[in-house]
Amino acid sequence: MNSTESTGGVSRRDFVAISTAAGMAAFVAPSVLGAQVAGGEPKPLKIALIGCGGRGSGAAAQALKADKGVILWAVADVFPDRMDACLAQFAKHPAKDRVQVPAERRFSGFDGYKKAIASGVDVVLLCSAPHFRPMHLAEAVAAGKHIFCEKPMFVDAPGYRSVVESVKAAKAKNINLMSGFCWRRSAPEAATFAELEKGTLGVPMAYYGCYYTGPLGTKKREQGWSDMEFQVRNWQHFTWLSGDQMVEQAVHSVDKMNWCFRNEPPKSAVGMGGRQLREAIPERGDVYDHFAIVYEWADGRRGFLNCRQEPDCYFENTDWIAGTKGQCFINGWGPTHWMKDPSGKMLWEYPADAPKSDMYQNEHNELFKAIRDGKVINDGDWMVVSCMMAVLGRMAAYSGQQVTWEQATASTESLSPPQYLMGPLDMPVEKKPGQYKVS
Amino acid sequence: MLAAAALALPAAAPLPQTAPIAPAFADKVAGTAITVEMMKVPACDGTAPFFASRVELSWELFDAFLYHLDQKAGGSTAESDAVTRPTKPYVSVDRGYGHQGWPAISMSSKGAVQFCEWLSKKTGRTYRLPTVAEWQCMAKASGVTSATMVEHAWTAADAKNASHKLGSKKADAAGIADLWGNAAEWCVAADGGFCIMGGSFKDKVIDPAAMKPIPETEDWNESDPQFPKSVWWLVDGPYIGMRVVTNDAVPTNPPAKAGTQPAAPAPAGAAPASTEKTK
Repeated sequence: MNSTESTGGVSRRDFVAISTAAGMAAFVAPSVLGAQVAGGEPKPLKIALIGCGGRGSGAAAQALKADKGVILWAVADVFPDRMDACLAQFAKHPAKDRVQVPAERRFSGFDGYKKAIASGVDVVLLCSAPHFRPMHLAEAVAAGKHIFCEKPMFVDAPGYRSVVESVKAAKAKNINLMSGFCWRRSAPEAATFAELEKGTLGVPMAYYGCYYTGPLGTKKREQGWSDMEFQVRNWQHFTWLSGDQMVEQAVHSVDKMNWCFRNEPPKSAVGMGGRQLREAIPERGDVYDHFAIVYEWADGRRGFLNCRQEPDCYFENTDWIAGTKGQCFINGWGPTHWMKDPSGKMLWEYPADAPKSDMYQNEHNELFKAIRDGKVINDGDWMVVSCMMAVLGRMAAYSGQQVTWEQATASTESLSPPQYLMGPLDMPVEKKPGQYKVS
Repeated sequence: MLAAAALALPAAAPLPQTAPIAPAFADKVAGTAITVEMMKVPACDGTAPFFASRVELSWELFDAFLYHLDQKAGGSTAESDAVTRPTKPYVSVDRGYGHQGWPAISMSSKGAVQFCEWLSKKTGRTYRLPTVAEWQCMAKASGVTSATMVEHAWTAADAKNASHKLGSKKADAAGIADLWGNAAEWCVAADGGFCIMGGSFKDKVIDPAAMKPIPETEDWNESDPQFPKSVWWLVDGPYIGMRVVTNDAVPTNPPAKAGTQPAAPAPAGAAPASTEKTK
């Protein structure tokens, strides 16, 4: 059958080739980190984890699994209890012997990241609340460290411009910069987008991505917490910290849209959104609970992005592409990936019995292999576009206006608080379309 | 080609059309519109007779448990509300295969056990996961063979890598649907550990003669990006579901009339915070 033949060539090898083409920017002389010590044991690669939540701890676990030489050497988090909880979990981890973080290498506070980066490590994992990422990234690049950088990379346009500069500097220094846009390292998605590049679907003209899910958890205010502590501990619910659902979560779908349209920024966006079902409690901050964004490219192609965090509603997290020769469906969680012509004939299908692909682990496997081989992966150029597209969508929904890429990227509105201190901080107010201006 | 081969066989007498087997009893779950139908499974190989649900656990019923829908509808009791429930999943845990009428999937063994606990409090019967021996009794009573598997089971032969609507293939000789294929089913092994039985929509071949329990493994949640990994959900177990059994022909501990008891007060200072995660 045609579909079997056309899927027969999808293999792990092809996937690696795809991601290599996408990510390998340069080949440089083998790094000293690639050296093997006598006896064949890999030279230690020390890592620092910045941001010790569930995802940061997960990234550290993936790094430990990716390379037998990896040692978790230092951690940083605004809150000491988060570091301690993370490290206590590692006491039961199979690689616990390579978790070597005594009290003197646990750095708390808003500037703890600087000390962790300066603690003699080779690689840093940037996994804090998104607001802090641009400053963490700038520091890591300045110090010449290889980097795993979770999504999103920034929450506002000043953050975008900072990260663009860091990407340039990382390139100049041949630093590995692996983004946390995990679908790019998922074999079925890589195969789908490679098939798209072959022209099987003709020219992709429209993209619909959806991320319909439930609300995230909150943390009730405890005695002794300052306003700042309360907000940072509930970071998902504050736009200045998370970027809102569009930027923090649905950015995964935006990234696939960007991938489909070859990492070329859209011309503009219009959108809607609001807070329909967020409880009127301070824990729920100022974020919206639904967005519907329409992106438009210079030649008229469009991308549609719907997302929702509302309880007891329909859940779906898939993507759909309309090309000039048919349609494509992507369900990464199925996994189900196919392309059909307008008559419904299957043009291409990802094999149901293909080996499992752990995209989160793949990110770290590729990063540490590149470091060992003296190669450089730099996701910077496209990751800033994906992330800024999400910020653009949020700006369009918040403002109720059509917002252009130029307007959005030139915005001088900083979401940063007046100062990074555990103390008083005003509660942000929900943005009202028609009233809030992109400035 | 299969059709052609079948036509080439001598014409056989049409299969007798038997009436569907009636459930031994059915439990209406208070606060929901759902009724759990239970089928009698005869004693076999030293295992006492018991009752097994006609279909695998549906999303409708698991959702009622997961999202406290019975409580929200005013149809719960203090006892049923006190059962610890899973954290809410952060991805489409139904994987887009289907929801209303489809088997609940991806729950951990802990989630499966807690569901049984909740259902027991809701109905007054002790519901639990089957033992492997009980599952094998169901298999024996099913009368399904390798030759008839395709009539009864969603397997990789025709499932297109997805679960299918509950009972959308022919029920077996005991009146039970989807025992084979569709979602694999959580069971309790002889050593008290958890395992799955029955094969699933992922399996190319399900051979009743070779059916063995597959013990629970961390691989079923290997790609959970968080650490510690979820104790409630299996990122890599989209083919794992469950079926409940009970020995109780009559409720042994009938619940108070739903909604007549005040809900248990939250302990002082208890945070409503959940551990839902973002990714």
